[in-house]
Amino acid sequence: MKLIGFVMAMGLGVAAAVPAAGPTDPQIAAIVVTANQVDIDAGKLTIATTHTQDVREFAQRMITDHTGVNKSAVDLVTKLKVTPQDNPTSQSLKAGGEENLKNLKTLKGAAFDKAYIDHEVAYHEQVLDALDKVLIPNASNAELKALLVQVRPAFVAHLEHAKKIQTALAAKS
Amino acid sequence: MLKTNAAWPYILLAAVSTMRFAPALADTAAQPEHTHQVVIEAVRFEPLDLTVKVGDTVVWINHDPFPHTVTAVGKQFDSHEIASGRSWKYTARKAGVFAYTCTLHANMLGTLRVD
Repeated sequence: MKLIGFVMAMGLGVAAAVPAAGPTDPQIAAIVVTANQVDIDAGKLTIATTHTQDVREFAQRMITDHTGVNKSAVDLVTKLKVTPQDNPTSQSLKAGGEENLKNLKTLKGAAFDKAYIDHEVAYHEQVLDALDKVLIPNASNAELKALLVQVRPAFVAHLEHAKKIQTALAAKS
Repeated sequence: MLKTNAAWPYILLAAVSTMRFAPALADTAAQPEHTHQVVIEAVRFEPLDLTVKVGDTVVWINHDPFPHTVTAVGKQFDSHEIASGRSWKYTARKAGVFAYTCTLHANMLGTLRVD
């Protein structure tokens, strides 16, 4: 039930074929790496597209921070000899990221900035919800749990940053 | 040949003298000031509020997996980006209360008090 709740929380609407139990550590590892990679990819597209400095700086921050978090996650699972295991949630995250990129590629200018930042606000809210309700409670390895707890405040900072830009963009339009 | 050999006792004496006095000189120079540490982890400064004396040095160590900055709100000091695993030190030369932040994560706030 927890994992179904998580998938629904990610706003992906994919609740089919997910196990009733919470995710295992290898599944959590795959979810974390995929969630970070999805945001890195959106950031890279934004750097190449936007002409708005605040949006560009935010995108660069997402690329840098999420790359750092992913490196820590990969280093840890390598040390723990945990092989990330693809699962319906990581697959849905990947599909959702690709859908977002597809949509963003059709947009330009202010419409692009708004769509990117709106998605970033929703994405970070959803990831925080997932961290609190599914990923942190289900992580069984103490070091994996500690890493999730340590990086959580970065998602809070990103969410606040995205909301600030969202407000500024709304005031401009 | 004889002259060269005769110089050795003086060289040895000079080396021994340096070994005896160098640690004493180093101790005298290093002791009056203190070094304090602030750990940057989980997107926060720990301790959040630090009081030091003029002349003390503060070292900020970044334990997060991404960069941070230590930037005084009044621009009295600015580390610029401190990479993951790296540190930055600042010697407090002026008394005052300095609020500082990370320019990359605006919700991070700290205070350095220099007496």
